[in-house]
Amino acid sequence: MNVSERLGSLSTAQRTVATGCSLLLLISITRVWSGADDLTSAGTVGASLRLAVPIAMAGLGGIYAERSGVVNIALEGMLVLGTWFGAYAALEWGGWAGIAFGIVGGMLGALIHAVATITFKVDHIISGVAINIMAPGVTRFLTATVYDRPTETPTIPTANRTGTFTVPLVSSGLESIEHRHWFLVSDVAGVVRGLTTEVSWVALLAVVVLVGSWFVLWRTRFGLRLRSIGENPYAAESLGVSVVRMQYYGVLISGACAGLGGAFLATVQNSQYKEAQTGGRGFIGLATMIFGNWRPGGLAAGAGLFGFSQALPLRQGDLVGPLLLLVAMLLAVIAIRQGAAARWRQAIAAAVGSAVSAIVYAQVDELPKQFIQATPYVVTLVVLATASQKLRPPAAAGQIYRRGGAH
Amino acid sequence: MSDTTPEHGTTPPAVELRGIWKRFPGVIANHDVNLTVRAGTIHAIVGENGAGKSTLMNTLYGMHRPDEGTITIAGRQVTFRSPTDAIAAGIGMVHQHFMLADNLTVLENIVLGAEPTHGGRIDFAAAKRRIDELKDTYGIEIEVDQLTEHLGVGERQRVEILKVLYRGARILILDEPTAVLVPQEVTELFENVRRLVDEGVTVIFIDHKLDEVLEVSDDITVIRSGTTVATVTPDEVDARRLGELMVGSELPTPETTTSTVTDVVELSVSGVTARHAAAARHGAAGGTGGTAGSGGRPLLDDVSFEVRRGEIVGIAGVEGNGQLELVEAILGLQRIDAGSIHLAGDDITSLSVRKRRHAGIGYIPFDRQREGLLLTSPLWENMILGYDDAERYVRGPWIAAGKAKTVADAAIARFGVKTPSNAVPAFALSGGNQQKLIVAREMTANPSLLIAAHPTRGVDVGAQAAIWDELRAARAAGLAVLLISADLDELIGLSDSLLVMFRGAVTARLDPATATPTQLGMYMAGEVQSQEEVA
Repeated sequence: MNVSERLGSLSTAQRTVATGCSLLLLISITRVWSGADDLTSAGTVGASLRLAVPIAMAGLGGIYAERSGVVNIALEGMLVLGTWFGAYAALEWGGWAGIAFGIVGGMLGALIHAVATITFKVDHIISGVAINIMAPGVTRFLTATVYDRPTETPTIPTANRTGTFTVPLVSSGLESIEHRHWFLVSDVAGVVRGLTTEVSWVALLAVVVLVGSWFVLWRTRFGLRLRSIGENPYAAESLGVSVVRMQYYGVLISGACAGLGGAFLATVQNSQYKEAQTGGRGFIGLATMIFGNWRPGGLAAGAGLFGFSQALPLRQGDLVGPLLLLVAMLLAVIAIRQGAAARWRQAIAAAVGSAVSAIVYAQVDELPKQFIQATPYVVTLVVLATASQKLRPPAAAGQIYRRGGAH
Repeated sequence: MSDTTPEHGTTPPAVELRGIWKRFPGVIANHDVNLTVRAGTIHAIVGENGAGKSTLMNTLYGMHRPDEGTITIAGRQVTFRSPTDAIAAGIGMVHQHFMLADNLTVLENIVLGAEPTHGGRIDFAAAKRRIDELKDTYGIEIEVDQLTEHLGVGERQRVEILKVLYRGARILILDEPTAVLVPQEVTELFENVRRLVDEGVTVIFIDHKLDEVLEVSDDITVIRSGTTVATVTPDEVDARRLGELMVGSELPTPETTTSTVTDVVELSVSGVTARHAAAARHGAAGGTGGTAGSGGRPLLDDVSFEVRRGEIVGIAGVEGNGQLELVEAILGLQRIDAGSIHLAGDDITSLSVRKRRHAGIGYIPFDRQREGLLLTSPLWENMILGYDDAERYVRGPWIAAGKAKTVADAAIARFGVKTPSNAVPAFALSGGNQQKLIVAREMTANPSLLIAAHPTRGVDVGAQAAIWDELRAARAAGLAVLLISADLDELIGLSDSLLVMFRGAVTARLDPATATPTQLGMYMAGEVQSQEEVA
């Protein structure tokens, strides 16, 4: 009886908890080893969550679109539209109006994608590229028209931003435990505090949307029909499901998610719209969706990892080093697990990644700035790519559906 | 309703079609079709490929409306606007190509489109209870919580049947249900079908394998050239008589006249064995993957035979018994683990596909639309496919459109491809004309060996005769032909020598002069095996 067999017999929920616990253990070991106590401080965790939200929302948008059979590489563009519309409405009418308008902005981009790909049967990639090129142009034009500067909006005043919440007793009660820096115990306290102290209501909304999406996609009639269309639209069609209507829903929800992510980026994580603010988060979201195997759970893990590795370099003190140590250990664990499951390619890649991280951690004193900026992207992709098991894209994603086109 | 043999006149017929006509642009697919299906019986519809069986069943399932005629279900006249109406009337159809989503569970596939819900979520427990009832009642075995992609072909078919029963169907249409099954699965299917009928379901099944039809059905209706020609019971006829009814005396027969077999061996296959499937070209997109090679049995098992110049060697076998792999091994698409292949005396075992084709192999592929044509390209470009370096199509490094079009026009005229010009896209042609274009392309290259896989599948009678004539003429001119077909009459009529393949091995060598479809069917089902030459 080996480990992977025993792990295989666990339910998805049990496996998620087990993975989360072992990850926390690894982080705790890293913290004690490197002495970087800020690794699991409430501040770091809170920043990670904020940075993860746009990625998670873009990826969730990808899930809705691709599960309905439409490849959506226009997520980046929809994110951009979300940032501008979000910032504009927040400046005009306040924070929640900003969120609502961000969602609408994303859906406008999605509507173009839907009309092009579903109604006019344009290649999904071509339509997506067009929207990605068009969206920054549109927002630049709108910025220049509405405000006096073409590349950014004015700063959104605090009164016009959505608020945060702190769970009273939990946050303050755990503070002293966190500051003791006990092995594992203080780490748990730090994580819980980070998720209960000055958390944006919009981030909470995003978490609800993510969890709710799992329920909608796997437990409701709508979700089953949506997924069936991404797998075999002609089977769904033969059972009386309207493929075109479901694909419109899928793409529009996709745009709404990306728009929400964009509005969060501009009005919660930052306080203004800026050109190139999205910085490829739409594409990272897409990659996270792929390595998360088109499932909200895998996506959440990937987005969290990205948020965490992006938060660390932003914190005071040198946290990139500890991050490399953590990545080295994480990849070593992945290498062992993949090796036990005889997936040699992933195992070797993870082992090599682990060795490289360890060498850099041990040998290099100060990393160049460019490298630090690239770290979250590299870490997320390497970890996800090596940790992922058999990826299973929706079978009909990217195919043009024609009514009655089955043979 | 659970009466298995209702008396005439007591129960109204489950289905009654009167004077059905259906025209498509340029063809009359069905004319004056009359069909009466007694309730609670197995009613077989037999006919050659392209005789109009599927059109008729699509009419009954509401996929299109007949131009004339009436449909009466259980005594009530109906008009179907869409399959939804047909489903509401208790008709369910299991398509020849399964309609299943691979990454969904069996349960999800069954309830899709008819999901029971409870407080916004799908009530999977209720659905399971209902499916369990159906499974018990009809004796269908399937585990519903597994992913559909893990299922074999026979299990997929059971899922399709459950799907239809779940929607309350009392009349089941099975479109060529045995085409993709191995014999053992066919036996299981027939057990399931009998159980369905015992429980009062009416089953209409479309087939052209006569022995199966005689074995399983209560009534048989024969369709020929778009119209119903007779309804008989299995005790009134034998396979031979049924075959005559299907083909009809006025139709061309595939018989070859005098033997033109020479002594020169063109193709020699010796001891070819293959264990691993070629890259996932087949079955990846469709739902029919996974028949051959499962359970560690080789795809090709020590296959040896020769084809001489002027000889047609026919290969019979139920689909999925190694014919595809054999053809691909000869072409160089399938890797072989042992054995050798010689063409005109030269060892071609390790040559590339292109070199083998240059050496004189012509190929009419199994699936003309997927492997034989670029559907959106004009005919003259399709003529070039595979011969893009032949002198007749090129000038230096360039494709010579002018030359190619001239060659295409000549071929179109010679092979009677019905088309307004060489510039129309291939999808605009009917199936028969697409097939004639492929034959034209391959024959224009003057091959020394022609591999013809189902050369007349799904083509109309006229095109069939033309293709047969062409094969006979080429054979007389010294061409060696390897013929794979599901049409036993075609095999017996055209071949100079017949091989039967079963589970990857050649299990019998028969003389077509003495072989009958019944005998051939027994070898194909693996009931009899002989390694000896019967002649």
